[in-house]
Amino acid sequence: MSTALRDFIKNPTAAELELVARYGMQPEDARRERAFLAFAETGLPHRRMEAWKWTDFKAALKVLETPAAVSAKDPLPHDGALVFRFTPKGFEAPAKLPDGIRMVAQPSVQAFPGAEDVPMGALAAALAGSGKRPATLTFEITSGDAPRLHFVFEGAGEASFARIIFLVRSGASLTLTESYLGGSGLTSAVLEFDMEKDAKLNRTIFQRGASDEALAVTAIAHLGAEAEMTQTTLAFGAKVARMETRVVHQASGSKLNLNAAYLSGMGFHADITTNVRHGAPSCVTRQLTKGAVLDGGTGVFQGKFFVPRKTGQHTDADMQHQALLLEDGAQVFAKPELEIYADDVECAHGNTCGALDDAQMFYLRQRGIPETQARAMLTEAFIAEALGMADEAVRDVLLAEAQTWLSS
Amino acid sequence: MDCCGGTTEHEDDCGEVKVKDSIDAKTVEAAKALESENYSAGFSTTIDTDFAPKGLSEDTIRYISAAKNEPEWLLEWRLKAYERWLTMEEPSWAMVRYPKIDYQAYYYYAAPKAGAKYASIDDVPKEILETYEKLGIPLREAEVLLGVEGAVETAAEGREKPRVAVDAVFDSVSVATTFRKELEKAGVIFMSISEAVHEYPDLVKKYLGTVVPQSDNFFATLNSAVFSDGTFVYIPKGVRCPMELSTYFRMNAENTGQFERTLIIADESAYVSYLEGCTAPMRDENQLHAAVVELVALEDAEIKYSTVQNWWPGDEDGKGGIFNFVTKRGDCRGDRSKISWTQVETGSAVTWKYPSCILRGDDSVGEFYSIAVTNGRQQADTGTKMIHLGKRTKSRIISKGISAGKSDNTYRGLVSVNRKAVNARNFTQCDSLLIGDKCGAHTIPYVENRCASAQLEHEATTTKLSEDQLFYARQRGIAEEDAVALLVNGFVRDVLQHLPMEFAVEAQSLLKVSLEGSVG
Repeated sequence: MSTALRDFIKNPTAAELELVARYGMQPEDARRERAFLAFAETGLPHRRMEAWKWTDFKAALKVLETPAAVSAKDPLPHDGALVFRFTPKGFEAPAKLPDGIRMVAQPSVQAFPGAEDVPMGALAAALAGSGKRPATLTFEITSGDAPRLHFVFEGAGEASFARIIFLVRSGASLTLTESYLGGSGLTSAVLEFDMEKDAKLNRTIFQRGASDEALAVTAIAHLGAEAEMTQTTLAFGAKVARMETRVVHQASGSKLNLNAAYLSGMGFHADITTNVRHGAPSCVTRQLTKGAVLDGGTGVFQGKFFVPRKTGQHTDADMQHQALLLEDGAQVFAKPELEIYADDVECAHGNTCGALDDAQMFYLRQRGIPETQARAMLTEAFIAEALGMADEAVRDVLLAEAQTWLSS
Repeated sequence: MDCCGGTTEHEDDCGEVKVKDSIDAKTVEAAKALESENYSAGFSTTIDTDFAPKGLSEDTIRYISAAKNEPEWLLEWRLKAYERWLTMEEPSWAMVRYPKIDYQAYYYYAAPKAGAKYASIDDVPKEILETYEKLGIPLREAEVLLGVEGAVETAAEGREKPRVAVDAVFDSVSVATTFRKELEKAGVIFMSISEAVHEYPDLVKKYLGTVVPQSDNFFATLNSAVFSDGTFVYIPKGVRCPMELSTYFRMNAENTGQFERTLIIADESAYVSYLEGCTAPMRDENQLHAAVVELVALEDAEIKYSTVQNWWPGDEDGKGGIFNFVTKRGDCRGDRSKISWTQVETGSAVTWKYPSCILRGDDSVGEFYSIAVTNGRQQADTGTKMIHLGKRTKSRIISKGISAGKSDNTYRGLVSVNRKAVNARNFTQCDSLLIGDKCGAHTIPYVENRCASAQLEHEATTTKLSEDQLFYARQRGIAEEDAVALLVNGFVRDVLQHLPMEFAVEAQSLLKVSLEGSVG
């Protein structure tokens, strides 16, 4: 490797050197260089960076290697969906797409404004495109009743990167489900959604990994006038797993539902990070994140509402995070943040954190329900609230997955 | 700072501030009364002053130490801090913006030439007397305040209200400490820290820097190197301090920084209520204030620490004003100890302040009640840290931020629960109110929970406040919203009303403030 490449990242770890080497093998591309430089500014994000203080990729990912565990089985139904499969080296798409969905696979990197804010997204944009995988995959949705698109990320390998752009045209609607099933030492995907007037998006994310893998899923969405986005995440974490969503309300009247549940056990770390900018008047955000954590598990929630001075007037936004620490040794870190410059808005946030309610437990126990079952029932009911807006086709599956985890 | 300078959010800062109709008129009025043009403490006193050479170097530190005739160990302690400070970087994470501080442009020590303590009223420089009079303290009280022998007793007798002992700090020195003798009868040590270093070196050595270590943060380290004066309080075992203690900080000299250090120790089962007030003249330059306050509460002890911070905030265009970069921390070292911080923040151009509690003892309690009002171009980034280490530790945070004019007001708080803090509890509530369309209100709470049996609530639903109290109020026909206001405000009011008259002026006007129209 040339010294020039080595100098990209200060004091690089073995994993970072490997990432630099991978970049060096890519064909020259000014936009790719810009994306990689945005990543290289910090290298793998670490705890000394405010936005990453609780999720340290640099410490968790010393070397880039294929993990011992194999990918989990995909619980989300493939029937009735158009399935796209991403593996560390390959990409498979249906042979033919129906009218109203157009896919363009490009070998070149597309411009990525704001890459500096999302180092893992910038990395994905810079390194997507090795082997048979396109550097940028763009979908244009023009239909109001297109079938569900289902993306699967699986397969063994050292690292897997993807960049996907969705253009949801005026009045069109997209139902998208994603399964991140592990198998790769590092998975980083960046998804961008450009939603025009009246466009609709229902996005559901299922994430399951192993305790020796790192995963970052970065989504960036821009909502047009009256556009509506609903997102539901169920994350079980990995050694480090960050599900980051950044949304900009760009024109008035747009609506966002941002829900997530994380279930984190021994050796697992699940991070739900969101950033919502109310860049247009009279937009609505409803956010609910629920978490349950066992001994040795970590849950992280970072939420931020940003309401600018003039454009953010009449914002109606509510952020709630509730976490259950089911066992000693569990840990939860939370930062529900508001930054408000407009004076005629309603923004609320709430954060609770604790054990199951003793009174509720007693109620169930006195009715003869064994302790383990009572605990599972209560936790399940607690978690279910965050999964209720997922697409019908997958909602019950998400609940069942949560249930299985809670009762095991 | 120029008008229209700063970040994008402040680009449209020029022009009139418009207040929406739904904001309570009394609240607007109350906030307006705190605008800089109404700042009544902004006069300066002409008095001959001794200065340390301008700027900061080892020599400055040796000068300060020599001026105070300090023992060798303290000089070493200061120099060690200075050495460490040279390697540190000024923090930039707070939501405040200010021009780069030139640390060589300040005087780090300024003392009235006439000396520090006076035996008779005739010796007290007229200028100092007048200064305290002008600050709204009647002459008779001023006599008490200035600690003139004889006057103390008469003035004390003349008072019907509970008496307050005062340590008056003028620039870098304590000019007077009242009621010392009477307090001594109860075993209470109340004196300036410079005196304590000589009279009680063992106590000072034992506790100094144990709550806020020398290298804690950039500003605390600077303070450790150059701290000038401040108050030392020790309440012995089982003593309930017979009167309120207080320190009145006055910055007077130009281009001078104030770096006081306060150390309060409440021994087992002791109780003390301590108040501090601060004012400074209107000057065009920014002045630096970097204080450190350390509180130690041993078993069953309680410390109530109240602050009315009214440093010169700068004029409406952001010219001048105090940079208030303060480290305040209390250590609930003993079981069942309690530390309670109350702060009314109305002054300073830039505030960077997080009074914290380390809840180390089992069943210890930490409280933080804050009202921060920003006007003009003031910026405040303030909040608290509650570090739960002991079992069944409890903390409560009530913070109200009111932004007006073109100011920014940020609440930043941390609630951290250690793995061993079984059954810890926290309740946090932050309300923010924006008065006008050119200011900002921000909330940045951090929660770190490592204990499954801990119960933490931040801005939880109203029913979580205290269902019993709410029910009580509701069944008597009080509307839910009024009941919540009554409970939350009632608590803060209750605390504020304990402030003595000298400090209550600003606080009283704040009591009129309601948080109707709160944005979250």
